[in-house]
Amino acid sequence: MVIRIAAVGDVHLDEDVVGRFRPALEELPDRADALLLAGDLTRHGTEAEARCVAQEFGGLGIPVIAVLGNHDHQCDQVPQVIGTLEDAGITVLEGNGVVLDCPGGRLGVAGVKGFGGGFAGRCASDFGEPEMKAFVRTTTESSDRLAAALRSLDCDVLVALTHYSPVPDTLAGEPLEIYPFLGSYQLGQAIDTAPTALALHGHAHHGSERGVTPGGIRVRNVAHPVIKQAYSIFYLGDHLDQTQVSTVGARGTQQPWS
Amino acid sequence: MTVYRDSGTGPPEEYVEAEIHRLLTEDPAVAEQGITVAHTERGLVLYGEVESAHRRDEILRRVAGRFPDVPITSDIGVIRTQAPTEIEQLP
Repeated sequence: MVIRIAAVGDVHLDEDVVGRFRPALEELPDRADALLLAGDLTRHGTEAEARCVAQEFGGLGIPVIAVLGNHDHQCDQVPQVIGTLEDAGITVLEGNGVVLDCPGGRLGVAGVKGFGGGFAGRCASDFGEPEMKAFVRTTTESSDRLAAALRSLDCDVLVALTHYSPVPDTLAGEPLEIYPFLGSYQLGQAIDTAPTALALHGHAHHGSERGVTPGGIRVRNVAHPVIKQAYSIFYLGDHLDQTQVSTVGARGTQQPWS
Repeated sequence: MTVYRDSGTGPPEEYVEAEIHRLLTEDPAVAEQGITVAHTERGLVLYGEVESAHRRDEILRRVAGRFPDVPITSDIGVIRTQAPTEIEQLP
């Protein structure tokens, strides 16, 4: 059995973007069991922009699960943004999770926005000025919530959804100097404490698609500027050919194992 | 606007680059963090990708307005939004 996940992040919606994704999104009920949104859904995090997201990503016929990103916090309207998205049927995760009954099994998704801090050997520490300690503790608390949410879910396939990156691999292409603002090893550490099958994130527009945590869990950067398509599709199952990438014919995605 | 001591030669390129990055992020009409500024013989070139043609045009308009004496060109693209033609299988 296979669970099919579509994912994209960093769509930065406002009125000028509404309608651009919709034709591709309309295909989703035939191609995926759920759509995951990896944060930065809006430009500034206003309620009006959230209505654009709701219009574009609502009513798709499959569950839509999101985390917020840093852009979605810009105007300090997070409760209104979340309310607008949830009114449109979009589930917004922050330190919690959800389990979906899919034809291929139970899909568990745990999510947090996450935060920065950097990666092993070159990371910020909980030391010094209050501002620096607050910065690092924000990441620590977010990572702890992600770990707890991942471990709380009873499911067949477990996915971690964040905006910030849990590994440096998927930042390749970004300037090294800004890695501490793009993610944290603590998120990867949280993901490695649970039987996670896949970790999805956005945020790194100049990064690369594929990476792996130190514990061996696959990571994918689904930021829209990276994947350069409306969304990516991942099939998770225990009998798939890892080396095979399927093509899509005129009548939908071919299933090479059928 | 920052005033530089040596007004005859204008601000050093590094400061211009830093100001453009902050302008593009902090200006509510733009709010883009993914634009790269490159120095070339023909002036500054803006690289990156955005979600609409309107945003691409607005970026160039804002930067040119802020630095009217600096030759600036744009090589910013609009990200495609077609449905994927491939899937990735993850055993």
